[in-house]
Amino acid sequence: MKFRENLKSKNRIVVKIGTSSLSFPNGRINFHRIEKLARILSQLRKKGMQVVLVTSGAIGVGAARIGMTERPRELPRKQALAAIGQAELIKIYQKFFEEYNQLVAQVLLTRDVVEEPERNRNAKRTLARLLEMELIPIINENDTIATHEIEFGDNDTLSAIVACLVEAGLLIILSDIDGLYSADPHTDPAAEIIHSVHDITPELEKLASGAGSSFSTGGMVTKISAARICQQAGVDCIIASGSDPAVILEILEGKKIGTHFVAGPPSVIQNESLQK
Amino acid sequence: MPCWRMEKSKRRTRIVVRIEIATLINRDGKINRRKMDRLAMVLSNLNNSGKQIIVVSSGAIVLGSEKLGLSNIPSAKIDMQAMAAVGQAELIRSYQRSFDEYGQIVAQVLVTSDIVDYPQRMENTRNTFDMLLSMNILPIVNENDPVSTTDIELDDNYPLALKVANITGADFIVIKSPDNGNYDIVAGNNQPVIHAEDEISLQEGIEDLCCRDARMASHPREIVFPASMEMIYSR
Repeated sequence: MKFRENLKSKNRIVVKIGTSSLSFPNGRINFHRIEKLARILSQLRKKGMQVVLVTSGAIGVGAARIGMTERPRELPRKQALAAIGQAELIKIYQKFFEEYNQLVAQVLLTRDVVEEPERNRNAKRTLARLLEMELIPIINENDTIATHEIEFGDNDTLSAIVACLVEAGLLIILSDIDGLYSADPHTDPAAEIIHSVHDITPELEKLASGAGSSFSTGGMVTKISAARICQQAGVDCIIASGSDPAVILEILEGKKIGTHFVAGPPSVIQNESLQK
Repeated sequence: MPCWRMEKSKRRTRIVVRIEIATLINRDGKINRRKMDRLAMVLSNLNNSGKQIIVVSSGAIVLGSEKLGLSNIPSAKIDMQAMAAVGQAELIRSYQRSFDEYGQIVAQVLVTSDIVDYPQRMENTRNTFDMLLSMNILPIVNENDPVSTTDIELDDNYPLALKVANITGADFIVIKSPDNGNYDIVAGNNQPVIHAEDEISLQEGIEDLCCRDARMASHPREIVFPASMEMIYSR
């Protein structure tokens, strides 16, 4: 529990919310969910914390905007819908955050933010400045000009990269999965949530590949790889269910929610396991 | 009189409209709703007439500064980038509100100025534009200033408009003049600039050029636009 206690002192956090948490199963936007997320993040900001939001959902919102019922498959159509939907999505966030007197900033990133040192420094500086100005940056991938299927693979990886960019203490990934299970919960009634992970072992990865969700882009595999990026950078990472954004507060109170990928230099972790 | 020859051909006339935010804001830095609505009406109408319209608009930094209640636009690059991140959301929201009046859906496309250095990225961006335009969506383009590593072009977004025109193979660039709100139609290939004093003569001027073009261009050709505003007006 000591590691959970550490989360109470986190001052700069990144919250990632997936499409499945922002919308109803039919793909339409869930305003209630966004409203609550905006309220909680604004509240944390007012308490003096620095908060960054990484959001998915542009393609879904774009599809709904033009009355499309199916999620598109071809890249150009996805990119077009992302361009329509991002405009709409940021408008919705702006509206809800402003109800809590919180200003937001839109930052759209592409893969080269990791690959090119100059772009990396630049994005880092802009984000730091926005946080200094007590704004909440809302980040998404710049899908419109992305060169591959989806450059970051999914926003899970993007959120881990952002957590490193802003030197966050904690990344919270909210999705339709409430954590990593010991077995596939859909088929195995004995499956239990794993609350704490120190080492991402091959066995653990194998476990993750079975328990993905069919709806979200990433599933568990991309979340594990996001967690690994965080672990290596010394950032704590929690994977939890986004069905109620209030879990963010509970996580910050040190409650045992979701799966905690404990950060820290390898030596510290070894010492811990020796003590056990 | 409208010319139907161009509309009948497979390819629709594509027009990049370059807007400086100065033409749409009041002295207090707030959007002039009447002016923006008017512009949205004209562009929606052009779209309805079968043209494909792409707007290149500045304004994120100005609107961001206004939103944060700053009396001046900051001069440090880092502050301008932060303002751009705040103001871009505001800019696109304002456009959307005006275009909604005319049932026109818009899309936000943010590019960095080095896009032309990445062929694959350019190709993808072109595909996105083609797709948006074929869906009758109006793209609103701006520089992705928050992550830009090059100099921020605060008011002269003509270079960006030019890049977008080249990437998308546009036929004309329309420039809304900040001085009097008039429109200039830049046809490229060293053709004279056409001045339009109001929205009706803009529409007429474009129809006129489409006819001329339909007669001249029996095969696809590269259109070379002037590389700078100085070059446009020195002719």
